[in-house]
Amino acid sequence: MTMLSERQQMSYIASQAADARLNVELETEGMTLNIGPQHPATHGTLRIIARLDGEQVVWAEPSAGYMHRGYEKLTEVRTFPQVTALINRIDWLGSFANEVPFILAAEQLMDIEAPPRAQHIRTILFELSRIANVSLFLGDLGVQMGAVTPVFMAFRDREYVLNLIEGATGGRFHPNFDRIGGLKDDLPKGWLDETRQVMKKLRNFCDEIEDLLFGNEIFQSRTRGIGVIPADVARQYGLSGANLRASGVDWDLRRDQSLPLAYDKVDFRVWTHPDGDSWARCWIRLQEVREATKIVDQLIETLPPGPVMTKVPRIIKVPEGEAWVSTENPLGEMGYYVVSKGDLGPFRVKIRSASFNNISITPWVLKGVYVPDIITILASLYFILGDIDR
Amino acid sequence: MGLVDRGRLPAPLTKLFNIGRSYSMWVYQWGLACCAIEMGAAFGSPRYDVMRLGVIPLPASPRQADLVVVSGTVTDKMAPAVKRLYEQMPEPKYVISMGSCANCGGPYWDSYSVTKGVDQIVPVDVYVPGCPPRPEALLEGVVLLQQRIKHEDMGARWRGEGFKPIVRESEPIVVGGGPIE
Amino acid sequence: MAQLSDTDTDESAPVVDELRNEIVARLRADLGDAVVDVHQVPQVDLWVRVTPESWRSAGEALRAQGFDYFCFLSAMDWMPSPFGDGENDPTEEVEEDPAASEIRQGYTGGDTRFQMLARVTDTRRHVSVTLKADLPQHDDGTMSIESWIPVYAGANWHERETHEMFGISFDGHPDLRNMYLPGDFEGYPLRKDFPLLARLVKPWPGIVDVEPMPASDDDEGDDS
Repeated sequence: MTMLSERQQMSYIASQAADARLNVELETEGMTLNIGPQHPATHGTLRIIARLDGEQVVWAEPSAGYMHRGYEKLTEVRTFPQVTALINRIDWLGSFANEVPFILAAEQLMDIEAPPRAQHIRTILFELSRIANVSLFLGDLGVQMGAVTPVFMAFRDREYVLNLIEGATGGRFHPNFDRIGGLKDDLPKGWLDETRQVMKKLRNFCDEIEDLLFGNEIFQSRTRGIGVIPADVARQYGLSGANLRASGVDWDLRRDQSLPLAYDKVDFRVWTHPDGDSWARCWIRLQEVREATKIVDQLIETLPPGPVMTKVPRIIKVPEGEAWVSTENPLGEMGYYVVSKGDLGPFRVKIRSASFNNISITPWVLKGVYVPDIITILASLYFILGDIDR
Repeated sequence: MGLVDRGRLPAPLTKLFNIGRSYSMWVYQWGLACCAIEMGAAFGSPRYDVMRLGVIPLPASPRQADLVVVSGTVTDKMAPAVKRLYEQMPEPKYVISMGSCANCGGPYWDSYSVTKGVDQIVPVDVYVPGCPPRPEALLEGVVLLQQRIKHEDMGARWRGEGFKPIVRESEPIVVGGGPIE
Repeated sequence: MAQLSDTDTDESAPVVDELRNEIVARLRADLGDAVVDVHQVPQVDLWVRVTPESWRSAGEALRAQGFDYFCFLSAMDWMPSPFGDGENDPTEEVEEDPAASEIRQGYTGGDTRFQMLARVTDTRRHVSVTLKADLPQHDDGTMSIESWIPVYAGANWHERETHEMFGISFDGHPDLRNMYLPGDFEGYPLRKDFPLLARLVKPWPGIVDVEPMPASDDDEGDDS
């Protein structure tokens, strides 16, 4: 963070003033504002309770739990293949990406590895879910600031990606395609050509959004210098994904850990931004969609032949042990701590979802901002309710 | 409309009103979980375009809505809010329950925190199955509801007797899924 | 309890993981006997168990080593579930098998039914550590451990969640309100002895390939 913009300085002064007011307790009467649980601006059922002084937030706290479905308990009474069907629905926009770390953890415990072709296809589908997820974010970003057009564009181009996922897996939304030891099926005929076309369309979509939204003066003044998160705070709260990289931390699990996925065979750039404000977070995500389309393009060219499934027993029993696998999901680091006791199902699964950590910073970051900025900051942090509450 | 209040509306007039009501529904989108995205695709995307069915998905508050689509998992913590939202809507009001979770709990049938079906809290007119249902399925649900409204006895609704068809043997509505009720 | 075992790291001699060995050596230097046990899968992962008293100081020591990225914090209940694994009919009489109800802790062992579990990452060296600690129950059945908020501010919500799910209280936590469940909810869902009522009321039809249809299976379940 080389140079503080005027807006950053102002927001710093504002947060200091809010602190001072809390300490001194001036006689102004505060107001408590309740946003949600169902509110057009909260992306689902997150409720925010903010105590205001005039237009400024003195204290804010999200109240989660309206979507708590008890995943960690339910995984204990299901078999490994059944768990896969369930965990699709944690981050419902990038559902295939939820399956991968869990399957990899189970494979790590069983000491097997999927064949190279399956790893490749997994990576392709993983990136497609990232595109499906983040493109909706880019459209939704406009809605949060009063521009309705981008969301129509996002839904238009997202359909192409959903069609691809449906063509490959049979499921438009929740594929449940990943199996321990590989994939359920190979890709259908003609899928690769179609994917190439769609990736071109998606890159066009990114250019359109960049022109329409990121070049917009209102958008810039609503996001630049708003909601700044420094790198050390971001790491302490466990922010991950684009939120962490927007604070200048060069950390991407696709590149920085070796998993049996095909990321080491492609050339892609991990974008970081030094500012850590809302604009940086949005911009990083835009670049990530672009990188994802490039990754898919490269993987299509180098798709190896061979089977997509190794030999696994018909009834899967995972040997005793503990394993942690996390991947760079569309929302950030998604990991599963799987404990098996040699039974049909896991003994315990701790689900580390990205949004839970990402949104836990809101009491810190919302202090001192103005009420309209609550919405842009939350939008730029990008959460999905199922991913917070699980 | 004193005639309507007293429940003594001539059948032809009822039919006329019903056609008017069924093609001018304001839908409140009560998006809760995964289904909310598919509902957004059905209501907000250029590909599915629900407005051609005479349904307007943009009321600012439930007080202006005729229809609410409960899409997604209703948790025990959320249930009071759903109930309250339903009570805020003016009569006549309709509910579409979208997705397995809202229908019966779906994949969370054994969860400790999920309400097993939104029909435990509010009366439901049309159930749309699927996990999540495709946008087309939701549109079919809307069409089925419109058929239902066309056969509704408005007087009974105003007297608080709920849904009653105007014709005694209501002809089966066959849109894909076969007759309802 | 305070047995020092290096056996796990020594056995894996063929693959030497200098980075993780160095981490363990520095932790031992910082904490001394508080490091109870270490389990290492070379080049993959590292587990360290510390004493409950040194839970916070272990966090501080790791943070000083550069583990400044907070991944998650949770707990474990090692008691086998008294309701079976979900595939069996929970209303059926389970034959008594003493081995099945024996509490077996996972990697790095342990003495108590509940264990703390946390994971921190060093984003510069690309390495993570899973930290564990025993959780002895007080005389009245409650459990408590020091809060990690002064070390990692992000632990706030994780500790709230752990409190709600396991009933573990954290000393020094400012606000242990329920996060997910309504205020009048009773019980701690992630404890193994918390029953899923829906499963007790309507038994799961059983493992795949049962010949009689689920409906007829249900009837049998009601009769028995």
